[in-house]
Amino acid sequence: MRAVIKDGIGVFHPQGFLDGTSSAALLSIEDIDATLKSNASMILVSLKKVIFFNRNGLDSFVKMFQKLRIANHIIVGFCDYDKKKYDAFKKFYDDDLSFSLFQTQKIASLFSSSFKEKNKNVLLYSEDKSQRAALAIELHDNGHNPVVAQTEEEFLQKAELKDAYDAIIENTFLGQMGQKVATRVTGNAIIYTVSSFLDAEIGSTFNIAYHNNSLNVGFRLFIFDAYKVVSMNIHALNFFSKLASSSAEYNATICFVGMSFSKTPISFKETLEDAGIMFFDQMDDILQNKELLDELGASSAASGKNKRALNKVLVTELPNFIDATVATIEMMTNSKATKDAAKVDKIEIADKDDKIASSIGFYGDIDGMVMLVFPLGIAKKACELLIGESTDDKEMILDTLAELVNIVGGKVKTLLADEHISVDITLPRTYHDVDGLLEVAEDKKGVQVDLSFDNDKFLFFLTR
Amino acid sequence: MITIKQIDSYIEKIPPSPKVLKETLSLLNQGDLVKAAKVGKEDPALNAYLKELINKPIYGFRNEVNDISQIFGILGVEKSQQATYNYMISLLSPSKWKLFKLNKSSFYDLQAQLSANWQKITEHLDINDKDIQSAVSLLPASIIVSEALFCEKLEDVKLLRSVDEIDLNTILQRLCKMDLFDICQRIAQKWEMPENIAAIIQASSGVKPSQDETINTLGKWMHLLLFYTLSKPVFIEAQLNDFIDFQIEYVTDIYDDFSQLMEIV
Repeated sequence: MRAVIKDGIGVFHPQGFLDGTSSAALLSIEDIDATLKSNASMILVSLKKVIFFNRNGLDSFVKMFQKLRIANHIIVGFCDYDKKKYDAFKKFYDDDLSFSLFQTQKIASLFSSSFKEKNKNVLLYSEDKSQRAALAIELHDNGHNPVVAQTEEEFLQKAELKDAYDAIIENTFLGQMGQKVATRVTGNAIIYTVSSFLDAEIGSTFNIAYHNNSLNVGFRLFIFDAYKVVSMNIHALNFFSKLASSSAEYNATICFVGMSFSKTPISFKETLEDAGIMFFDQMDDILQNKELLDELGASSAASGKNKRALNKVLVTELPNFIDATVATIEMMTNSKATKDAAKVDKIEIADKDDKIASSIGFYGDIDGMVMLVFPLGIAKKACELLIGESTDDKEMILDTLAELVNIVGGKVKTLLADEHISVDITLPRTYHDVDGLLEVAEDKKGVQVDLSFDNDKFLFFLTR
Repeated sequence: MITIKQIDSYIEKIPPSPKVLKETLSLLNQGDLVKAAKVGKEDPALNAYLKELINKPIYGFRNEVNDISQIFGILGVEKSQQATYNYMISLLSPSKWKLFKLNKSSFYDLQAQLSANWQKITEHLDINDKDIQSAVSLLPASIIVSEALFCEKLEDVKLLRSVDEIDLNTILQRLCKMDLFDICQRIAQKWEMPENIAAIIQASSGVKPSQDETINTLGKWMHLLLFYTLSKPVFIEAQLNDFIDFQIEYVTDIYDDFSQLMEIV
């Protein structure tokens, strides 16, 4: 069984009866390996569909949690349970709870440094005084407004005013928490999380290949979530200055959010600002400010240095890319695709109205990126399968589209792996309209394939 | 991924139930075990199936039982009918399983476990209806249906599942407005199985509660039984555990009874 990873949170969904024999079958060594390698900042096991469990059944998950904590320093725990199950946990593990317990997945997401959940009013209560404090501190750290009830009566009284709070937390327990440099994407900004002491280590923990490829795909805004940074030394300063100047070639912006300079020389801030890095106090200062977000994140033509020609390997693998794309969209829309035309040239989009686009990069043995231009109709239809209903909410369609493109990327990855070509994929970038895509792709030469799905024109473009 | 067309052609391909079987079943229905055994003898595959079934450990016989009249005698009318239905379903099962890691023997095991435990449940609920007791035999049909429809698309399903938690049943429902249990119902109709069997099977999907209270209760028990059985390591390894979504709210009120009956500690 593999975890479903969304917004940086990976969730396992075991079903039915969890006991010693069955849980061992649920979680293979490969599954644990895959989880360790995932980029998730939080791994949860949802008990929503588990009707029975015993300690033996939980143990194989708990063992995985321990490995994850040691290797990745991330938040691990169980979620989606009722009071009865919560009490069972307490009874099974007594003082030995090294993982967290979140009443629901939504509550858990309040504790991940996820960008989507910010500034929530949260009512919380726990019998344990130190837990109350820990919960409140973590929530505050993540940009929420916790209201702590000191007694159960107070909690019940306050909980009656359901509308006053975005979330009400009880029966929740925080095990030891951990953080690492993680990557998350919101809109079209990439968020990296950094914490504690920033020193020479950052050079090895920061995934520079990932960063470079994100630049290549067209991401232009990179935000370092530095709420939990204690201090920074000269090596880290050096690192970030270099990062800023290399990103400047792409016209990209790097921001720091929530960095305090109480233990870091204020002159560092000036140096970083000279290098072009911007500082903000709150994540919302950027994310809620649509104009600023558009200005910083808007793609602009990449520098000339970035112009690279298609090479033979890439063209040889072209059928794989097209197959993966066509198969995925056929699968999601239940329609048949026909190939209309193919050519090697700059991208050319005949009709720009009512189209949205997405791009995803890949790197490793070969590198490049795939751009897909969807008529809104196909995008909507394809997203229906994932959402379960049709929607006109463009943000939601773009979000789901990103997932769809992610599936395409995943497919390409498997197809290439069959030929012993190993690649990694970046996060997908989405564009509200074709113009945004053109800014990135206009000057690039690549292979353009026009496809049609039940008479809807669809465009595939592969470039480097 | 899967179209209505494919479903139609699948239903089209289901063979009508063999004549000997029909006769055996109708004789069993009348309660005539001796005649039923006599007719049943003509179908060697049925003989072999029943022999393999009755000698499974779950039935707990010390000596090997060989003769079909003996088998029918041991099983009694209701269980014989159930076993014959089980055999009919097994006729549909693919010779080589691709999507689920099952084989002939583990599939028979699944049928045997479901049947034996369903027997316990109907006894507990004090139900003496032959048709209801046979209902469980159609359940594995939903597994065969998804195997047949999804085996070529396994990779696609895996990819889909990696971005969202969608089970096979929901995928089919969203794509074709028809789910695995609807197809099972069609199979039941084609084989002229009693109507309430299909109704119970539909209720056991956990997403389509029945208006009829008895059928609904039976559906609940069957839903829980299905998940109890599919949570066994063999069937988890066969990847049956995540083939449909478990509806925990649907079954909470009978859980305590169930765990007592199945002796879960």
